[in-house]
Amino acid sequence: MTDQLHHLAAAYALDALDIDERRAFEAHYPTCDICSREVVEFRETAAVLAEQSQAMPSPELKDRIRDEVSRTRQLSPLLPESVVRLSTRRPWRTTLLMGAAAAVILVIGGVLGALLNSSRTDDIDAVLAAPDAVVSSLDGDRGSLQVVWSPDRSQVVVFGNDVPAPGPAQTYELWFLLDEGVAPAGLFDPDDGRVRVLLDVDDLDGRGWGVTIEPEGGSEMPTSDIVFVGEI
Amino acid sequence: MTRVNPVRRLRSVRAGPDPGSEPADVLARVGTGDSTAFDQFYDLTIALTYGIVVKVMRDPAMAEEVVQEVYVEIWRLAPRYDPAKGSARSWAATIAHRRAVDRVRSEEARRVREEKVERQSIAPYDTVAEEVSDRLERGRVTRALDTLSESQREAVTLAYFGGHTYREVAALLELPEGTVKTRIRDGLIKLRDAFGVTP
Repeated sequence: MTDQLHHLAAAYALDALDIDERRAFEAHYPTCDICSREVVEFRETAAVLAEQSQAMPSPELKDRIRDEVSRTRQLSPLLPESVVRLSTRRPWRTTLLMGAAAAVILVIGGVLGALLNSSRTDDIDAVLAAPDAVVSSLDGDRGSLQVVWSPDRSQVVVFGNDVPAPGPAQTYELWFLLDEGVAPAGLFDPDDGRVRVLLDVDDLDGRGWGVTIEPEGGSEMPTSDIVFVGEI
Repeated sequence: MTRVNPVRRLRSVRAGPDPGSEPADVLARVGTGDSTAFDQFYDLTIALTYGIVVKVMRDPAMAEEVVQEVYVEIWRLAPRYDPAKGSARSWAATIAHRRAVDRVRSEEARRVREEKVERQSIAPYDTVAEEVSDRLERGRVTRALDTLSESQREAVTLAYFGGHTYREVAALLELPEGTVKTRIRDGLIKLRDAFGVTP
């Protein structure tokens, strides 16, 4: 498997891997000097190809983008180097293991701490502080989510900003992505775009997270496309 | 690390030497929350990002939607841009291309695109291959592409400009997946060397 992964840097840099291979390669290449270097080189190469297809959009686009950007918060630059490296190399996957747990708590606590005031704030803090807490960044067309999972506590905290409402009589549902298939991990809904939800979850060997939009009350199996996805 | 950066070299030939307006410097300022720098970065990169997105998506309205997401993402991620991981232009192009192919691969977009292609009565790979060869008839890139075998060039352009996975390219060309994977890799290595991208 690893031997095969070594040869995927070119296809990866062209975004020519399907989602499973992309994930596998993103799990591999930051740990591999050769692949890391090739990804940088091949991305530069691809960008030179892109230079040849330059075109201009309508002039109004800039104003629309300015408007949205003025309402969008930037990510913190204050993450430790190891985390920065992971997150820039793996836009679809930021996994922080126990060694970085303290930093995670600082970052998330710093950004979000003041915002947490639900009755389950203590439980949320406890998940963040759990020594086995694993943070995953989920990405998708609807912004970004962070999922913090403490297997020991069998609890998950879902964080999100600027998450659009799922639609009338609908809800977001979080899924464990397993080696084979998926398992439900709970429901959440944004409150004016913001998500701070504590979920009790089964003890499963989750490999990743997916989020779908389901009818109110949730589903046993996903009934729509994944709108957020990330690796554990 | 002494990297010859072909993208920046192209830019500096066009724009003349002005260190303050190098994309990497501008992007560093964007990372500090500087909205003026963001405007500047947009101006420096919009033709590149929109160009590749519309090339992959073939639908200007959808391409603008995606480009809007791209620049919101650029704004969000700018504090974490690391020049050691590549030029600012390739960073922006990478985000743009990734967004475009992910959108194209979502089922809805696929349906719309296929309908559009059907209406034009042109096979998708022909369209892309012809467009690409039409547009690439110039300059350094053309010469670099000329160093590729026809089959390598076809595989690289179908993947990058067509937004196809190598598996899809293999299906389109009725070739084994391993063959296409190898052609993409060998082709990109040749381009990398021709463009002078070296570690």
